[in-house]
Amino acid sequence: MPKVTLITPSKEKVILEDAIGTLMEAALDADVEGIDGDCGGVCSCSTCHVHVAPEWVERVGPPNDAEADTLEFDERTNSRSRLSCQIELKDELDGMVVEIPNSQ
Amino acid sequence: MSMPPLNDTFQDARESSGVLNCPFQGKEVAMILRHRDVRTAAKDWQTFSSDAPFRVPIPSEEKVRSVRQLPIETDPPLHTGLRKIVEPFFRRPRDPDFRARIERLIEGLVDEAIDSSEVETVHEFALPLQSRALSYLLNLPESEAEEWINWGVHVFRDGDGPAKGAQLDSYIQTQLDRAESKPGDDFFSALTQAEFDGHRLTREEMTGFANLTFAGGRDTVINTVVGVIAYFGETPHALDELRRHPEQLKSATEEFFRILSPLTHIGRVCPNSTHVHGAQVEANERVALTWASANHDSEVFEAPNEVRLDRKPNPHVAFGFGPHNCLGAHHARAILQSLLQTLIRKIHRIEILQSIPKIEVEDRYQRQNGYEILRVRLLPISTQN
Repeated sequence: MPKVTLITPSKEKVILEDAIGTLMEAALDADVEGIDGDCGGVCSCSTCHVHVAPEWVERVGPPNDAEADTLEFDERTNSRSRLSCQIELKDELDGMVVEIPNSQ
Repeated sequence: MSMPPLNDTFQDARESSGVLNCPFQGKEVAMILRHRDVRTAAKDWQTFSSDAPFRVPIPSEEKVRSVRQLPIETDPPLHTGLRKIVEPFFRRPRDPDFRARIERLIEGLVDEAIDSSEVETVHEFALPLQSRALSYLLNLPESEAEEWINWGVHVFRDGDGPAKGAQLDSYIQTQLDRAESKPGDDFFSALTQAEFDGHRLTREEMTGFANLTFAGGRDTVINTVVGVIAYFGETPHALDELRRHPEQLKSATEEFFRILSPLTHIGRVCPNSTHVHGAQVEANERVALTWASANHDSEVFEAPNEVRLDRKPNPHVAFGFGPHNCLGAHHARAILQSLLQTLIRKIHRIEILQSIPKIEVEDRYQRQNGYEILRVRLLPISTQN
């Protein structure tokens, strides 16, 4: 199971070992600052927004359609944006790094 | 039995023009109907402003209250700062202890309903549930809720509006007086102590916050709770299905918010004349962000009239969208998740004994948004067969 690193809005590094489920679920379980996951992971809010580290963008892949539509309305969105509720933690993401943007 | 809330009254207008012009209180309001258009307008506060006392709700409320509701009837950046004042209270439902308390409250009400063989869910279940849960949110004694229950399902619309509005205002003034002389750690005390922009809030501002807190999230929460009970009464296999798949509790919660969309729409005022998808809106006239229509948009939701408890993604706008996104959403989610949790744990079947839908009747559409009466029998799991 993958190990992932989240960099919080206050630049703290949080490492999740053996993370399972979606990145949002793992971050909520660990009470990571800046990941709120208000809607429970159905893409109706963007309170689990992350910016994937440049070297991981390709492996994580682009947002799905509903996710992209929701991200489009978030001022914090850039080319590395994903909603962490849509990122399934698979083995190939072991070592992944994401940054959490400041809340709006 | 059919379930009228699933009927999508806006479908034709949404698919043909995207806008429905409908008069409210004698004035045409351009109702924006498509998901993308609603979200776009909700973010565009310069064109579609909330800086409009009494005119954000539809119908407007100048006859039933005398204060601007805060923070909802303001635009950014003022809105952003005002919202921060009360946000800590509205985030309390994220605390597991808070949620456990909500769950105990619902368990108690469900047990009571089981014991009394039948229950009228609007007034005997959902209304006390909403009021008592609100006392937790505002960190006030639960006994305060007994007075709020007497106010009925809506603080303005359940009876004589102006008289009810005066009653609410008088209650708020009494609480603020109490908080000023003897502050505690409740919502009213927080208002009397809050600083904004280097000064204390005025009494009028405090009243504006408190007014919204009691007016919002009341009939909407009640209608959602009752809507869920009605749905399980009419669709027994769905209760069993959720029981078998408790991992769907959160997606089911969101699906109920989407399909029930308890708040049909909310208003915005256009400071300048503008075009809304072909409809001309004059300066100072209103548009409506029609959440209930956007939540049935087939461009976004596959089979929008079907209840799919495992629907994911589900980018509904039942809590609005953008900077004014419902402050009480955490609270509403905690209530609904606890309700579903309790029902699948305790209830075998729900028998509907009497059902009188509540219909929103306007000149150009009709929509069920709740129940006047829903009398049911809750059959517990332990005594089935």
